[in-house]
Amino acid sequence: MQLIIQNLSKTYSNGVQALKDVTLTINQGMFGLLGPNGAGKSSLMRTIATLQEADSGSVQLGDINVLKQKEEVRKILGYLPQEFGVYPKIDAVTLLDHLAVLKGIVNKKERKALVEALLHKTNLWAAREKNLGGYSGGMKQRFGIAQALIANPKLIIVDEPTAGLDPAERNRFLNLLSELGENTIVILSTHIVEDVKELCTDMAIINKGQVLYKGNPLDAIAEVQGKVWSKRIAKAELEEYRKNFNIISERLIAGRPEITILSEGQPDSSFQQRQADLEDVYFSHIFNSSKETTLA
Amino acid sequence: MLKEIFLFELSYRKNRAANYIYFGIIFLLCFFAVASPIVSIGGAQGQIKPNSPFAIAQITLTMSFALMMISSAVMGVAIVRDFDHNMEALLFSTPMKKMHYLLGRFGGSFLVLILIYSGIFLGLMAGFAIGKYMPWEVDWKTKEILAFNAWSYIQPFLYYTVSNLFIMGALFFMAGALGRKAIVIYTQGIILLILYSIADSFLANVEWKETAAMLDPFASQTFEYTTRYWTPAEKNTQLVPLEGIMLYNRLIWMAVGIGALIVTYYGFSFNVVRNSLIKRKPSTVKEQAKKTDVVIPIARQVINTGTYLKQLVNLSVFYFKTVIKEIPFLAILITGMLLLIVNAFNMNQLYGTSSYPTTYSILELLDGFTLFFIIIAIFYSGELIWKERAVNFNLIMDALPMPSFIALLAKFMGLLLIYIVMLFLLIVVGITIQASYGYFKFELPIYFSSLYTTTITFLILYTLLAIFIQVLVNNKFLGFALCIVFFIVRGVMGELGLEHNLWRFASGSLGTFSDMNVYGHYIPSFSWFKLYWFALAMVMFAVAVLFSVRGSEAVLKMRWKTGKLRLNRSFLIFTFSVLAVFLFSGFYIYYNTSVINKFVKSDDQEDLQEEYERKLKKYEFEAQPRIVDTKLKVAIYPSARDFVAEGYYWLKNKTDQPIKDIHIQHSIENQLIINYVKFNREAKVKENFENFKYYVYELADPLAAGDSVQMNFKVTFDTRGFEQGGSNTNVIFNGTFFNNTSFFPTLGYNSGVELGDDDERKKRKLDKKERMMERNDPRGLAQSLFGDDADHIRFEMEISTEGDQIAIAPGYLQKEWKENGRNYFSYKMDAPMCNFYSVVSARYAVKKDKWNDVNLEIYYHPGHEYNLDKMMDGMKDALGYYTKNFAPYQYRQLRIMEFPRYASFAQSFANTIPFSEGIGFIAKIDDPEKDIDYVYYVTAHEVAHQWWGHQVMEAGVKGNAMLSESMSQYSALMVLKHKFTPEILERYLKYELDRYLSGRAFERKKEQPLEFVEGQNYIHYQKASLIFFALQDYIGEDSVNAAFRRYNSQWKFKDAPYPTSADLLKEIKKVTPDSLQSIIHDMFETITLFENKTIEATYQEKGKDQFEVTLKVSAEKMRADSTGLESVIPINDWIDVGIYGKNIAGKDSLIYLKKHKITQKENTFTIAVKAKPRKAGIDPLHKLIDRHSDDNTKGLVKK
Repeated sequence: MQLIIQNLSKTYSNGVQALKDVTLTINQGMFGLLGPNGAGKSSLMRTIATLQEADSGSVQLGDINVLKQKEEVRKILGYLPQEFGVYPKIDAVTLLDHLAVLKGIVNKKERKALVEALLHKTNLWAAREKNLGGYSGGMKQRFGIAQALIANPKLIIVDEPTAGLDPAERNRFLNLLSELGENTIVILSTHIVEDVKELCTDMAIINKGQVLYKGNPLDAIAEVQGKVWSKRIAKAELEEYRKNFNIISERLIAGRPEITILSEGQPDSSFQQRQADLEDVYFSHIFNSSKETTLA
Repeated sequence: MLKEIFLFELSYRKNRAANYIYFGIIFLLCFFAVASPIVSIGGAQGQIKPNSPFAIAQITLTMSFALMMISSAVMGVAIVRDFDHNMEALLFSTPMKKMHYLLGRFGGSFLVLILIYSGIFLGLMAGFAIGKYMPWEVDWKTKEILAFNAWSYIQPFLYYTVSNLFIMGALFFMAGALGRKAIVIYTQGIILLILYSIADSFLANVEWKETAAMLDPFASQTFEYTTRYWTPAEKNTQLVPLEGIMLYNRLIWMAVGIGALIVTYYGFSFNVVRNSLIKRKPSTVKEQAKKTDVVIPIARQVINTGTYLKQLVNLSVFYFKTVIKEIPFLAILITGMLLLIVNAFNMNQLYGTSSYPTTYSILELLDGFTLFFIIIAIFYSGELIWKERAVNFNLIMDALPMPSFIALLAKFMGLLLIYIVMLFLLIVVGITIQASYGYFKFELPIYFSSLYTTTITFLILYTLLAIFIQVLVNNKFLGFALCIVFFIVRGVMGELGLEHNLWRFASGSLGTFSDMNVYGHYIPSFSWFKLYWFALAMVMFAVAVLFSVRGSEAVLKMRWKTGKLRLNRSFLIFTFSVLAVFLFSGFYIYYNTSVINKFVKSDDQEDLQEEYERKLKKYEFEAQPRIVDTKLKVAIYPSARDFVAEGYYWLKNKTDQPIKDIHIQHSIENQLIINYVKFNREAKVKENFENFKYYVYELADPLAAGDSVQMNFKVTFDTRGFEQGGSNTNVIFNGTFFNNTSFFPTLGYNSGVELGDDDERKKRKLDKKERMMERNDPRGLAQSLFGDDADHIRFEMEISTEGDQIAIAPGYLQKEWKENGRNYFSYKMDAPMCNFYSVVSARYAVKKDKWNDVNLEIYYHPGHEYNLDKMMDGMKDALGYYTKNFAPYQYRQLRIMEFPRYASFAQSFANTIPFSEGIGFIAKIDDPEKDIDYVYYVTAHEVAHQWWGHQVMEAGVKGNAMLSESMSQYSALMVLKHKFTPEILERYLKYELDRYLSGRAFERKKEQPLEFVEGQNYIHYQKASLIFFALQDYIGEDSVNAAFRRYNSQWKFKDAPYPTSADLLKEIKKVTPDSLQSIIHDMFETITLFENKTIEATYQEKGKDQFEVTLKVSAEKMRADSTGLESVIPINDWIDVGIYGKNIAGKDSLIYLKKHKITQKENTFTIAVKAKPRKAGIDPLHKLIDRHSDDNTKGLVKK
C-alpha cells in the first residue's frame, strides 16, 4: 500500500498558505517529515488524518480516496496529534478500553488483551490505574501512542511526538515507534533532525508549505558530503561573515560561534571540512528556501 | 502600590469588550423597560405613575439582582484570571503585598461593576426622557407622568444596587480568590440562588414575612415588606427611607460582605501550589517487571451497525458519567431537592392551612425546579459539546472510525440519561414527602405520566436546541448567550404579534391535573404540539450533525464542505421524513386550532370588543321583556365534550310600553352552534351582527305591556378537534360545570363585553368606563345583581348524561330514568328563583344527611372523602344559625357538587352549591386549635348566599356586593365564632387585614368605601370581614342580626325595585346607639384607618395579686381618599385597651379588655389587675384597620 499525495494545497481563512502544491509518495515503513515550526507539517498530517480539508489536490491511500472516503481511512488510521490533552479524571485502562470500543474492537476479551498488551508495550502498565491527570509529559505521550496503536492501524500518523520529552523518554519513545510493523505506513513529523536520522527510511523536508526535499536520509547526506565547512569565529566577526558567506547554520560552542557554510570548495583556509550529517541537509534546504522567499 | 494595582485593574478592564456589553445590556433593558411595550420589569399600572419613585425603585431593585451573573463574571475573575492565564507564578513572586493585591483588585473591579450597573439609572432616565418620541407604542405615551426627580433614581441605586453589588461582589471575589477556578464561582452563584429561593419559599407565610424581609440579601423582600400596604398615592410620592428593617437588613449584609473580604484576606495565599485540605496518600506506582517486549495481539475490528450501537451506548454512558461527577451538577441537584422539600412545608396554603400532599400538588412543586432544569440543559449541553475541545482531546476523538452523528447523539443521550435519573430521584423525593405527611396514595402512574412526558419533553427540546445553537455558532459563551436571548425572545413573542403556539418553541401543555378529569382533553393537543416540536428539533439535530465540527476546520464554509460528505442516503431519508412530520403536524395543528376552531389574537379580540361597543352600545338601554319562565332539555355528551340544549323562555313585557324588537345575544364561544330561535308569534330578523352573534328580532305585532311571548331555541355545543390553548374547561370528560350565562341566549346588549382597562380605552379613544352604575341610578335599581334579563323565573330542566355520570341542576329531582344507556334527570323548582343556574355532570359518589326537613347531599369525587363531615357540619351549623337569626331556609334541599380544580371557588345557586376540588376537598386541617378550617368557613359562606343573594336579590349598582358577599362574610364569620376559639378567629382576621391592606395597594382605579364597593374583592370580602366583625363587637351580635333580619323581611323574594347598601345601612343605623353612630360613617361611608401604638408599658406590684399597669399609647385616626392619600382627622372613638396574663396552660390570655374613649393622640392609662400582667396595649385584637398592627401591644416592664 502506498500513500500518494498529489498537488495538495491549502490556504487558511486568515490568508496563510499552509500547503503549496505538495506532492509526495509515501511507502510502507517510517517516513520522516522534517521542517521548522509552522512549516505546514501538521496541516499536511491533519489532512491525511481526515481532520482538515484541502483546497485542491488529492490524497490516495491504496484504493481509498482519503479526502472523500474519510470513514474508510479512519478504520485503518492511528493518529497522535501534536498537542493533545486527556480527561484528567480517568485512568489509562478505562480510557483505552473506551477508545478501543470506539475503534470497533467489540469483542470484550480481545479488547482486554489488546489494552493490556498496549499498556505493557508503552510501559504504562504500572500506572494504568492512575488518573491521566497525574501523568508526566512522557507518560502522556506514551499513552498517546498506545491509543494510536489500537486496532492494528495500517496508517500511523504521529505529529511531533518527541517535542518536550527528556532524552530518556525520547529514546524510549523512538524505540517504541521503531518496533512498529514493517507493513505499516508510519508518518512521523518532527523538527528534530535526530529523530529522522535514527528512525526513518524515507523523508521529506518541508518549509512554508512546500516540499523542499524528498528521499532517503542517507542519499540526502551524500548530496552534501564534502561541501560542509565550518569555522569558529569571534562574536564580533559574525556580521561580517554573514555578509560574505552562505551560512547555513551557526551555533555556539563554549560561548563562541561556530558557523557552517555550504561550498563546493574550501572557502578559505580558515574553514575546515566537516563530516556532513542530516542536520546540514536540513539547514541547507531551510536556508535556501528562506533566501528564495526573501529575494522574491 | 495599592494605587498602581487599582489603576492597573481599571485600565485592564477598560480594554475588555465584555464590560461595555454588560453595560449595554443593562442600559438597554432599563431603557426598553421604560420606552417599549415589550420588555417589562416591575409594574406601574393603573393609578401608579410609570416614573413614580416606587416603580423606579422596583426596576432598580429587580435589575440589581436579576443580573447577578454579571457581578459574578466581573468580580469572580478579578483573581481567577491570573490562574487561568498562568500568571500566578510571575505575579506572586513580585514583592507585592497581599493586602494591596487583594484590595486593589477588589476596589478596581468593584468600581468597574458600579459603572456597569450605572446603566440602570442612565437607562431609566433616558427612557423617560425620550420614550415619548419613540416610533412605536409606549404604554404611557398619552399619560401624564411625574416631573423628573434625580433622587428617585439615585436613592434606590445607592441603597439597593451599590450595596447588593458590594455584598455579592465580595462573595464572588472570595469564591474566585479562594477557589482559584471559574467553576467555583459559578457553583457558588447557583447555590446562592437556590438557597435564596429556598429561604424565599420557607418564609412565604404571612407570619414569617418580617423575618424574610430582615434576611433577604438583595433587600427585595425588605422592599416588598416595607411597601406592601403602600397605596397608589404613596407609591407615587414616597421613597423607602433607610431606617428600621431596611437599615438593619443593609447593615447585616454589608457586614457579611466585609466578612467575606476578611476571610479572603486570611484565606488567600501567594503560594502557587497549595496544601490540599485533604491529605491524599501519595499514590505509589508499583514498579513491576517491564514487559515492553510483548507482541500486540491482533484484535478484530468490526465496523457495522452493531458497532455503531455499541459506540453510541459506550459514549452515552461516558458522557453521563462525566456530568454526574461534576460538582456544580450535584450542587444544583441536591439544593434543588432541598428546595422541593422546603416548599413542601407550606404546600397549597389557604389561610395558612395546608392541603393533602396529593401527587399532583407534589408535581406542581416541581415547577419551582424548572429554572434549574433549564440551567442544567443549557449549561451541560454546552459543556458536552465542548468537552473534547476543552481538554484538547478532540483530534483523537475525531479521527476514530465513528459516523459523525454518533458523537453528537451520544452527548444528547448522555444528558437524556441524566434527566431520566434526575426525574427518578425527584419521584423518590416526592414520595418521601408524601410519606412524611402520612399520605400513602403514591399514584406512581401520575408521577411517571407527568414527569416522563411534559417535563422530559421540555428538557429534550431545550437540550436539542442548545446543541443546535452550540454547534452552529461554534463558540461556547456566545452559544450560552444566544440560548438566553432565545428565551427572552420566546417570552416576548406574544407582544410582537406571534401569539400562536406554533411559534412558541416547545409549547404544548398537559394543562392542570385534576383528580376528577385527570389530564382530560389536553392529551391530543399536547401530543400534536410535542410531535411538531420534536420533528423540528430532529431537523435541527440533522443540521447540527451536518455542521458539527470534526477535525480542525471551524469556518462555516469548510464545515459545510466536510458536512456534505455526511449526506448519505439514510441521513437524507431521516432528515426529509422528520421535516415532513414537522410540516404535516404543523398543518394539522393549524387545521385544528385555526380552521375548525377559531384562534383570535389578543389585539384582534380587543378590536372586536371595541367594535361591539361602538356598534351596539346604542342598544344598551333599549327596553326589553324579561324572562319569567325557563324550561330546557339539556343533553350532555361528556366523552365528546358536546351538549345540546333545547327549550324555551317565556318573555314578559314588564314595561308600560309595547316592545317591538327583541335583542338576542348568543354566546360567542366558537364551539356553540345556534340551531334555531323561534317565537310563538310571527317575527323576523331585523338586524344581524353575525360576528358578535347579536340578532335583533322584530315582532310582527309588538309585545303589549304585560303581555308575554314564548321564545324557543336550540343550541349545540360542538367540540371539534383541539384548540390552541387549554380549550374550555366547562364541558369536559368528567366534571362538566357551566352556568346559563356562558352558553344560553341572553337579552340585549352586554356591557360586560366592553374593554375595562382605562389605559386601553384611552388608547382606543373610548371614554372612561365606570365599573358599575351609581347607587341611585333608576336603571340599576330596576335590575338585580344577576342582570336585567329577568327578575325571578319559574325553572324546569331535564338533563341527560352518560350512563356513569350524575347530572345536576337547581331544583328538586322530579324523576330519574335510564334510556339507551344514558341517565336522565328531571329537575323542577317549586318557587320562583333567580335567573342563574348551573349544569353539572360527573361520576359522583354521594353522601347524604338531613337537617330538620332539609335533605343535605354532597356529590363528590370518590377518594375525596377527607372533609365531607366538615362540609356537612358547615351546612348544618349555617342553616341553624341563619334560620334562627335571619329567616327560615326557603328550600327543602341543599346540595354541594364538586367540580374540577380548573377554577378555585365555590358558588351558590338556588339550593345547589358547586364547590371546587381545589379549595376544600383536599384541604388538610391538622390542628383544630391552630389551623383555620376554611372548608367549614367556605361552606357557611356559600350557604349564607341562599339568604343574601337568593332570598334577597339586591340591585345591580355600586355597593351591591356589600349586600350579597359582605353579608355572607359576616354570617359565616358568626358561624365560625360560635364553633371555634377566639384565637382562630383572630388568626383569620389577621389574614383578612393583610389581604385588605395589600389589595388596596394594587387598586387600579379607585378605592371605594364599603357602601360603594364596585366588584373589589379586597373590599367586599376582606375589608367587610373586619368591618362587620368590629361592628358586632361594638353594637352587639344580636343588634347586627336584628338589622339583617329586618332587611331580609322587608326585601325578601321581591322583584324590582331592588334594595341597595343604603337600605341595609338604614337598618344598621337603627340598631346602633347614638354614641356609636359615628362608627357607621367610619366603617361604611368612608375609608378610615387607625394608627394605634403602645409607646410604654410598665407595671408595679402593689400587693399579693394586686398589680397596677401604666400604659402610654398613641392613637391616630386617618381618612384616605380613593388614591390612598391620607389625612389625620380628630379622634373621638371607643378603642379596646387590653392586658394579657398567662393562663394555666402557659399561654397568653386576656385578663383585662375594655373599651376606652380616646380623644387625643397621646394617652396614659393606669389600670389595676389581679393577676400578673405580661403584655398590654391598645386594640390588641386588631378590630380596627391599622397598617402597623404588630406595634399595638408591648411586653410589660416592672417598675
